[in-house]
Amino acid sequence: MSKLKRGAAAALAAAMGAGLLAGCGSSSGGTTSAASGSTTTTAASGSATTTKAASGSSSSGDTNMVFAWWGNQTRNERTSNAITKYQEQNPGVKIEGQFSEWNDYWQKLATNSAGNALPDIIQMDYQYLNQYMNTGLLYDLTEFTKDGTIDTSKWNQNMINAGTMNGKLVAVCAGINAPALVYDKAITDKAGVTIKDNMSIDEFIEASKKIYETTGYKTNIQYGTAQEIFSYWSRADGSILFNTGKVDAKPENLAKYFKIYEDGEKDGWMLSPTVFAEITIGSVEQDPLVYGDNPENQSWCTFCWSNQYVAVLKAAKEGQDMQMTTWPSADPKKSDFLKPSQFFSVSASAKNPKAAAAFINWLTNSEDANNILLGERGIPMNSDIASKVSAQLSENDQKTYTFVNDVVAKNCSDINPPYPDGYTEAGKALNTILEAVCYGQETAEQAGQDLVDQGTAALAAKAAASK
Amino acid sequence: MGNQQPVKTAASAPVKKRKIGNPINNEKTAGYIFTLPFTFGFLMFMVVPMAISLYYAFCQYNILQPPVFIGWDNFAKMGSDAIYQKSIGVTFYFALVSTPLRLIFALFVAMLLLENNKLSGFYRATYYLPSIIGGSVAVSVLWKRMWATDGTINRILGINFPWLGDTRTAIWVLIILAVWQFGSSMLIFLSALKQIPQSLYEAAMVDGANGWKRFWKITFPLLTPTIFFNLVMQLINGFLAFTQCYIITQGKPMYSTEFYTVYMYDQSFTYYNTGYGAAMAWVMVLIISAVTAVLFATKKFWVYDGGL
Repeated sequence: MSKLKRGAAAALAAAMGAGLLAGCGSSSGGTTSAASGSTTTTAASGSATTTKAASGSSSSGDTNMVFAWWGNQTRNERTSNAITKYQEQNPGVKIEGQFSEWNDYWQKLATNSAGNALPDIIQMDYQYLNQYMNTGLLYDLTEFTKDGTIDTSKWNQNMINAGTMNGKLVAVCAGINAPALVYDKAITDKAGVTIKDNMSIDEFIEASKKIYETTGYKTNIQYGTAQEIFSYWSRADGSILFNTGKVDAKPENLAKYFKIYEDGEKDGWMLSPTVFAEITIGSVEQDPLVYGDNPENQSWCTFCWSNQYVAVLKAAKEGQDMQMTTWPSADPKKSDFLKPSQFFSVSASAKNPKAAAAFINWLTNSEDANNILLGERGIPMNSDIASKVSAQLSENDQKTYTFVNDVVAKNCSDINPPYPDGYTEAGKALNTILEAVCYGQETAEQAGQDLVDQGTAALAAKAAASK
Repeated sequence: MGNQQPVKTAASAPVKKRKIGNPINNEKTAGYIFTLPFTFGFLMFMVVPMAISLYYAFCQYNILQPPVFIGWDNFAKMGSDAIYQKSIGVTFYFALVSTPLRLIFALFVAMLLLENNKLSGFYRATYYLPSIIGGSVAVSVLWKRMWATDGTINRILGINFPWLGDTRTAIWVLIILAVWQFGSSMLIFLSALKQIPQSLYEAAMVDGANGWKRFWKITFPLLTPTIFFNLVMQLINGFLAFTQCYIITQGKPMYSTEFYTVYMYDQSFTYYNTGYGAAMAWVMVLIISAVTAVLFATKKFWVYDGGL
């Protein structure tokens, strides 16, 4: 039996491996065939010699790079296609794409760094930027902006700032994002509620109650990922929830936010915490907005990010009318912000950082690349490219553009500094406390103080360790 | 036996002679060569990583930076880590409840399948199936759906209970899944049952012992070595269970299903407290060793060790 099992496992692994290879390798495979195809069709003696030269150099002067990212199927396909295009335009450059899911990605990256084998080009997130920067794993790209390899003239200054640490440009924004409240207009219409941009928290709660009373549909603010909304709300109080080494918010303010959940559970308009035990938190497809099958376990809204809007639409059920607005806050202008959805970084151990920088320049500044990528990572920070790409988008993709450009960009403040070391752990502490509040095991008042204590403990431990 | 003896000496005699001339032909050398693939793998993928993890257990290590030796701090941290302590409780509860249940169930099914008929092979394979697929991700996902509020179980029972969302019941969803994976213990029981001489039962029947008595006086005592073996193996498996929790509950709700291994994994790879994770792994090694040692110490009180 164990032999059978092992055989089956091996077969499965082989199949998966083959699938992966096919997926990852498709780009390079495509290039070689395309390149050889073009030489045969032109059939000129000149081109024959160039191929010879190219194949000759493949053993010596070629640049081989690894580009790793996390993402979904759409991103994987588009990025692989972009790589193929780049290799066509730049013979002698070979880029191997490696992609994973979010969680696996960071584990893989960490182990890679331990083995001194980081990919040359890394897709980086705001949450991890600090950690990787502080450990000296990222290459300072400033020299390439000076020598013209990277052209920053059309870039959004805020996004350049977000990727600059201690005067070093270590991360290039791959797309612009904003917090987005996606809601089902079919439900709000039925309840006779109008959702407007830049709502206050009170207005949002009012709306939630009315929707619950008239239609029975409940509300999901954020559960399991509530560090995002708590940070957002804290910005209105002028504080950075998780700062370096400590929780920088007043316990009574935090208690106020926990109270929203406590009251919501008591009054019944908030989704029961038991619903979240049955789904994968963070998965758009399993979000209570689209996953629930009755008002009891379905939410009329979800707190997510603007570049997830299209994914929500894809997951929506028939009859749902998904619209987008800002997250509610006591002071929307102070709370709201534009965020680099992700970055491209070059690892400090890259063999040819200039070539990597040139590729990143192409990804962010060229029409060729962005006609393939089509803003899937967020709105390009190059303003020229953004407007050109926007013209080619579907109506739904364009909605994201207008939301970010016309609604958020006009009424927002600077993003918080890159998340400190220990952010993940402090976030987990927050969600653990929130869970206790929702299960009625802890009062909101107590929770506010607990979050300050436990969050600070987590952040301080990491801050002390990194010194 | 009698005619095998000379053959054996004849075979070993020339080997002894050659041993002096050419060590490669030495039986021992040959043995080492044959076990080389295993030895190499064992050293490279078990012993060396374990040694490294032992070192990390005494280090502040976040994978990204080189480890810094900090002595016993990681172990001291466990004393003040409420979730860690909760996870120990959950893991013990899970292992100590699910293992006996699984063994009882396995023995019960094994006795049902003992009878030989045309279909018994089919039944044995069928009942073994859950063990093959039970630890897999797919079954865990299926299980999660089955026990959802709108899942199969509630439909059958005609109720609307959030099994996975209630702190009292969530662990039982995992325990039932573990009990359902009774196949390997069942097969071992089955082969042990077959080895009990039929004559014992016949004699007991002649003496007028009923089925219940025959089970307790014959079957059970003769099975105790097998029960012991299964108990040790399955208990260790129980302490090391990971997939079910990782896929189905992720420790939710309120850490009521947080397995030790899952917490260790989170500490190591989600929070990058890899040194702390390594220390936790070594504490688990000690726990399992202690539990196994205790079991072995009780062996002489209840395990029948005599011949037939």
